[in-house]
Amino acid sequence: MQVVHWDASLDSSDASREGPPRDFIRDEQRHNFRRKRATSNKRRAESRESGNLPRQQEPWPFARKGAASKPHLSRGAFLFEANFLRYKMRARKTIGRALTIAALASASLCAVPRTAANDSPRVVVDETGRRVTLPAEVHRIVSLAPNLTETIYALGAGARLAGDSDYCDVPEEAKSKPHIGAPVNPNLEAIIALKPDVVLASAAINWPATADALLKLGVPVYTTEPHTVDDMLVGITHIGAVIGAEAEANSLTTSLRARLDALAQALAGRAPRRVLFIVWDDPLISIGPHTFIADALRLSGGVSVLDVEQSWPHVSLEHVVKLQPEFLVFTGDHGDGETSKLEELRERKVWRELDAVKAGRVAFISGEVDRPAPKLIDAIEDLAKQLHPEAFAKPAEPGGAR
Amino acid sequence: MQPMTPRRILGICALLGAVLFIAVVISLRLGAYPMSFRAIIESLYQNATGRGDQIPTDYQMVIFGLRLPRIAFGIIVGAALAVSGAGFQALLRNPLADPYVLGVSSGAALGAIVSLIFAPHVPLAMQGAAFAGAGITILGVYFLGRRGGQIDSSTLLLAGIISASFLSAIIMFLMTTLSGRDLRGMAFWLMGDLATPPQMPLGLLSFVTLAAIGAIYTTASDLNLILTGEQEAKHLGVNVARVKLVVYISASLLTGLAVSVSGAIGYVGLLVPHVMRMLFGSDYRILIPASALGGAIAIVAADTLARTVASPTELPVGAMTAIVGAPVFIYLLRRRVG
Repeated sequence: MQVVHWDASLDSSDASREGPPRDFIRDEQRHNFRRKRATSNKRRAESRESGNLPRQQEPWPFARKGAASKPHLSRGAFLFEANFLRYKMRARKTIGRALTIAALASASLCAVPRTAANDSPRVVVDETGRRVTLPAEVHRIVSLAPNLTETIYALGAGARLAGDSDYCDVPEEAKSKPHIGAPVNPNLEAIIALKPDVVLASAAINWPATADALLKLGVPVYTTEPHTVDDMLVGITHIGAVIGAEAEANSLTTSLRARLDALAQALAGRAPRRVLFIVWDDPLISIGPHTFIADALRLSGGVSVLDVEQSWPHVSLEHVVKLQPEFLVFTGDHGDGETSKLEELRERKVWRELDAVKAGRVAFISGEVDRPAPKLIDAIEDLAKQLHPEAFAKPAEPGGAR
Repeated sequence: MQPMTPRRILGICALLGAVLFIAVVISLRLGAYPMSFRAIIESLYQNATGRGDQIPTDYQMVIFGLRLPRIAFGIIVGAALAVSGAGFQALLRNPLADPYVLGVSSGAALGAIVSLIFAPHVPLAMQGAAFAGAGITILGVYFLGRRGGQIDSSTLLLAGIISASFLSAIIMFLMTTLSGRDLRGMAFWLMGDLATPPQMPLGLLSFVTLAAIGAIYTTASDLNLILTGEQEAKHLGVNVARVKLVVYISASLLTGLAVSVSGAIGYVGLLVPHVMRMLFGSDYRILIPASALGGAIAIVAADTLARTVASPTELPVGAMTAIVGAPVFIYLLRRRVG
């Protein structure tokens, strides 16, 4: 029996990784992440809520969601233990699994660094603090979220993906895999029918109740919980370890980090653009400071004009006129969409009065921005080029911001 | 109308019980995980004879971990909703009364959500709050629906519809201001959903449901008299106030329980008692047990459809009951008029 405690192992590897210097915002963030990761899993889990929002201001109202952040306590309300069921299932568990549980209890306290794999099951703690027993080798993976499907393919494990959700559309091959339903309410039977060695879930889109139900049935579920771009990169390493693609995960994250570093260097010294990020334009929904998108925006050299604590604020157009953002950022395909959207905005009342629209400063970011997966870095680079074209047109000059 | 004998009651219950059994068997057979009847019967037999370890793990998970609990919760929710609907119809002397239409389900849902905000980890707090929400709502609707000391049918329904939309607006407000975009899960629950096995003690739940149904049943003969008129019932020696209190508390409790398990499932409380009335007459001594069984059949069938129609994608069972229930209700209304 081998116990993997990723917090310990990853922390050291993360700290020892050398990289080129970054701008100060990023350094500060990284410092925070490292400190956070050093605390225990449980505390870390408690300091967060599910979804891609770091817990800052808003109380978490619903236990079904909160179960992700507080795995044990939040079984309240919706998640009363169905004792009868648990005992029934437990009694029926095979001897091997019973041994696993016994070993888990004794081994859970000592954290053994990850070493060479052997044949016994591994016990790991996922990003939401749930204990998961994984088989030594993973041959069949079921992904419950589009970002995880994309990550699995990026790690070269697409052939081992046994099934994915209805929404998984990147890459194209993912669409032809057997589907298990929508991420919010996947069909548990369909998941079991695929006989997965491990199910990957994302707290950003899947419901904690799904993972709880599967774990209770004895299906191993590993849940990632990315709140920032850095979390996403760490999550890739975790997924690599879960599915046995450590080397691929390391080379992937190294190259992604190198691209982010290059981007940070190119943008160094430039004042961030004041941006109105438009999640939805009618009604106008923008982003708050604690969202995944806000983090991606920071890395692209932008900052939201809105000073709100809410994660997905509903903004009045009047307020936008008052703030006069430098750029409007829409999600969607950029290309011909760009000119037609601009034309459309120039037709619309009030919108056409905005400085950004008059000057044609409308940027587009791919829908990937809300999907914590490798292609997110493409989206960030793409947006950075639109927000700071001068930084990429010629060699960076110090203090070159407008 | 046929005389009401214990034999007739038992006969009808046995008939409905047989239909329920067939519905359960079909529901056990259907699902995203393909399984033969033979495999299911073998697994059940092995489990019953204490050889549970010999059942393949997948079958164990699907039959005992997913399908059976889901069917069990469906039966409880269906029985609770249908009986509370029948109870409200007698209590308010209005054939269109139903926990969903009267806003009682919304009240229970609001209670449940409020309890999740303020006391997320207290055991049974959600059930209690859902019960309180249901009770307060029906009380409010009852007083809003009175006109000159008499309950006016259309005023009552309007009061219910207004309460339902008002309470839904509050739920929306709480969900958007407190959780932003992450209301996906709750939105499903509000539609009425049995997909993820509710983590609640099944034994306690079925005990309370049976007790509440039993309490309403004890008042069945009195309800028959009250339906002819409260004054008349009083003259015939019925303690109207006591009967109303019993039905009011039990029906609210049933609605609260059902909502806390599965969210607000509509039309079952309205339609099932009506269908049972058409089939077996409006004597409450038969209507209550028949509604309980009929509601169970309705939910088991609707949930089976919900998880197989668009398989592997699951629909909320509430959407299913509304899709099937609303047209049937319109048909019933037209037929009554004609």
